[in-house]
Amino acid sequence: MTKKSFLVWNLLFFSFWGISLGEMQAQKDLSFPVSQYKLKNGLQVILSEENSLPLVSVVVAYNVGAINEVPGKTGLAYLLQNLMFQGSENISQMQHVRFINRIGGQLNATTTSDSTLFYQTVPSNQLALVLWLESDRMKSLDLNVPTVERTKLTIIEEIRQRKANEPYLESSLAFDVLLYPDFAYNHSLIGNEEDVANITLEDVVDFYSTYYVPNNAVLCITGNINKAKTKELVSRYFETIPRGKEIPSLLPPKPVEKKPIMKTFTDSLAPSPGFHLAYRMAPPQSDDFYALTILDYLLFRGKSSRLYKRLFKKERIVVDFSGTIERRKNIAAYKMFAMNNNEIMVDRCQKAIFSELDKLKSAFVSEAELKKVKNMFKMDYLEQFSTCQDKAIFLCEFHLAQLNLEALPAELDKYLQVTPAAIIGIANRYFTEENSVLLNIKIR
Amino acid sequence: MKLITCLSRILGSALFSLWIGLVFCPPPLSSQERFRKTPPSPEPLSELRLPSLEPARLSNGLTLAVAYRENCPITSLQLIILAGESDSPEKVPGVATLAAHLLPRGTQMLSSSDIEEIIESIGGNFSHSTSLDYSFFTFNFLEEYLDQALEILSKMILQPVFLETELENEKRNLFYDLLEKGRDADFVARRLLLRILLGKHPYQKSIFNEDVIKNIKQKDILDFFDKFYRPNNAILILTGNLNLTTATRKVSHYLNTWQKKDLDRPFLPAAEPNEKEKICFVDIPQAKDSTIYLGNISLPITSPDFFPFLVLNQVLGGTPISRLFMNLRESKGYAYYAFSEAEFYKSCGIFLVSAKVTPEASYTSIQEILKEISGVVQEKISNFEIEQAKSSLIGNFPLSIEKYDHFSSQISKIIAFNLGEEHWGKYYENIMLVDSEKVFEVAQLYHLTTPVVVIAGSKNNVIDFLRAFEKIEVYNSKGIFQYNITKGGGE
Repeated sequence: MTKKSFLVWNLLFFSFWGISLGEMQAQKDLSFPVSQYKLKNGLQVILSEENSLPLVSVVVAYNVGAINEVPGKTGLAYLLQNLMFQGSENISQMQHVRFINRIGGQLNATTTSDSTLFYQTVPSNQLALVLWLESDRMKSLDLNVPTVERTKLTIIEEIRQRKANEPYLESSLAFDVLLYPDFAYNHSLIGNEEDVANITLEDVVDFYSTYYVPNNAVLCITGNINKAKTKELVSRYFETIPRGKEIPSLLPPKPVEKKPIMKTFTDSLAPSPGFHLAYRMAPPQSDDFYALTILDYLLFRGKSSRLYKRLFKKERIVVDFSGTIERRKNIAAYKMFAMNNNEIMVDRCQKAIFSELDKLKSAFVSEAELKKVKNMFKMDYLEQFSTCQDKAIFLCEFHLAQLNLEALPAELDKYLQVTPAAIIGIANRYFTEENSVLLNIKIR
Repeated sequence: MKLITCLSRILGSALFSLWIGLVFCPPPLSSQERFRKTPPSPEPLSELRLPSLEPARLSNGLTLAVAYRENCPITSLQLIILAGESDSPEKVPGVATLAAHLLPRGTQMLSSSDIEEIIESIGGNFSHSTSLDYSFFTFNFLEEYLDQALEILSKMILQPVFLETELENEKRNLFYDLLEKGRDADFVARRLLLRILLGKHPYQKSIFNEDVIKNIKQKDILDFFDKFYRPNNAILILTGNLNLTTATRKVSHYLNTWQKKDLDRPFLPAAEPNEKEKICFVDIPQAKDSTIYLGNISLPITSPDFFPFLVLNQVLGGTPISRLFMNLRESKGYAYYAFSEAEFYKSCGIFLVSAKVTPEASYTSIQEILKEISGVVQEKISNFEIEQAKSSLIGNFPLSIEKYDHFSSQISKIIAFNLGEEHWGKYYENIMLVDSEKVFEVAQLYHLTTPVVVIAGSKNNVIDFLRAFEKIEVYNSKGIFQYNITKGGGE
């Protein structure tokens, strides 16, 4: 079947079922086929066929996370993620997990600052079962006081355990408040103990009915599927789920004052001094993001990265060090964390980092080094498509980031075309003192 | 924030049993489509098509195999040296492990940093592991860099230097790694169980602790390398978008000067199973819970009982819907988790059960685990459970080989253990042939009901709950016997 005739066939199919159109066929240079369409209730559906193994992955991603929480109600998003396994109208508590285990599948869920994903991979002959399970909890989650209270207790215990055992957690949360002035972006993902304890059944029902609706979700199915049959199943299980109300829009992040921030924090569990350092960056939707991502690899990724070599191998001034780009919906930052043996090492370490960042502002990165980091990036990028599940998660995240799937085939090249001049440009724009946030950690 | 960590506590909480009645009451059914009320039936099982393995032998004796994966932009290279920790010298355990650690740590012309740089420049990652039988090296890289990958690999193999400085670094890393793990109840309990079970068998050398690291000298590594890192004692597997002809030409080009050498691997005797239940305790003062490991010697990987044993394990404790989990966690609420595992090696296997339970439930949990084991030995498992276990194993198999490096790792085992292509190509059929009768037969053969039992936990919290045992052998965290505790008696 040619691409053109296939598209016509799809149009006819959806006309027959009365589904709103918007089918997009992937461009031919995509290494895997992708198509997407929207149901009348607003549910975005993405399908990608891959027949090498008899497996199928189903990911349902809701466009909601910690940033949708309001003051006094932190932890709601994570609580709801857990409640999604506690039963729905036709599925009893934890039965979802048992169904998947019984057929040899795998499942998990994750909540981030801006999304909540539920994913499972099963033998492809069991696709209908997963759609039945996912649609039931989207349509009619069983929320009641005993279940909510029990799950809250579990999460409160988890918060206590983390607070009692995780060194640098306190300082990390304090650092987020300095870096991201908006409450929506700067509070703890798991929530604070008091807030979680105060969450009521009404809060949960309200959050669920506002955000866990088809018009705020994307369903991605990848693997050994028959497209026509899959669409039929999607229609059967999801079409009649009522559309939710309009999703409340997020307030845009407040503009950040251009001035450096430097503070000190005493972390009661920190075994050694250290620091958190960040530079505010362009929003993830910006064109600068391609060069910023390559720069992330150049500075932080692998044992041949600039900062690993300088801090661990050459100067041996850190016990632990990590750095990466962090994205929270519409904002992003380079975040670094260092743990040092003593205050002198903290000082030397910061100077070494500043010196490496300064080098980037004036000296071109060699072609060989740039090629190396682009290859590292390419490997990680391609890894995202190495399993059905990874691919489905990638496609959901791509969609939630409001990127157009039609642009996907050209996406990798945009990273690979970053030039040494672009690196110098962004280093000068973003690694400035006024853009920096530093929190020195003292031990108790 | 992932689900699994939270779930482990949700069902482990005491409140679970309190609310279970409420939650399992079905909510009133509102009007809904009929198809929502019951789970849909599965479609017929799709066919599993696996690539055939194309092996070849190069003139220096190196076995080369290629597993073709269409449209895979990443190539995975597996090098297997047919020597593992059981081949370390008797008095210097750990040599096989350190030799593997040191392979990417420098050649005559390249420092370890140079090697890291080259590997990362082709988008690569290089890792290694040492098992009881073999040493495995995994090298994943972008498909367009096959030549560069083979070149750097050939330099590691043909021009290694094993510098004293690198050896000392690796010894220090391994020492601190083992020291750190020595505080982990899970690691300590498992290590002690294996040490007792393996007794004087050569596999026992793999259960070393940090104290032996200092004994390893550069000469030990050089001797081990010279003896075992030979093409006629190695297998190289390439998985990706390439064929055997290309692979043979390229591998020959880079590795044809690798010299073969005759070697005799000593015959590995069968390990003796434990025949009388034995209870051991290790004090881990900082542990809040009680960690239980129990098990016995079982069948080697080449045994014809392999597939029935897999099904047996699946029924008993292979998943969260297996008997152990359903009993100890869901029904009794004693455990955070309770699973069984079947590990298979060349000379024997290890069957083991692991559970993390509350201290006060230590004794009763062990009794429940033993009861569940006796259950599968004394009574035939129902056809329903057998079919459910088979369905889970069959469903999970493609998942276990989906990722390119898992795929090549699976192939490595098949070739290294000489299991034959049928082990791989007929996985579904082999599982389908297992029935309740066969599982019952196999359950009788492997001394499952007389395991060694190890409990690791804080003595202050746990030991009083173990007093009902006739005799408990107490060990320190390094696995050294300390004293006995007898029922009604003291230490």
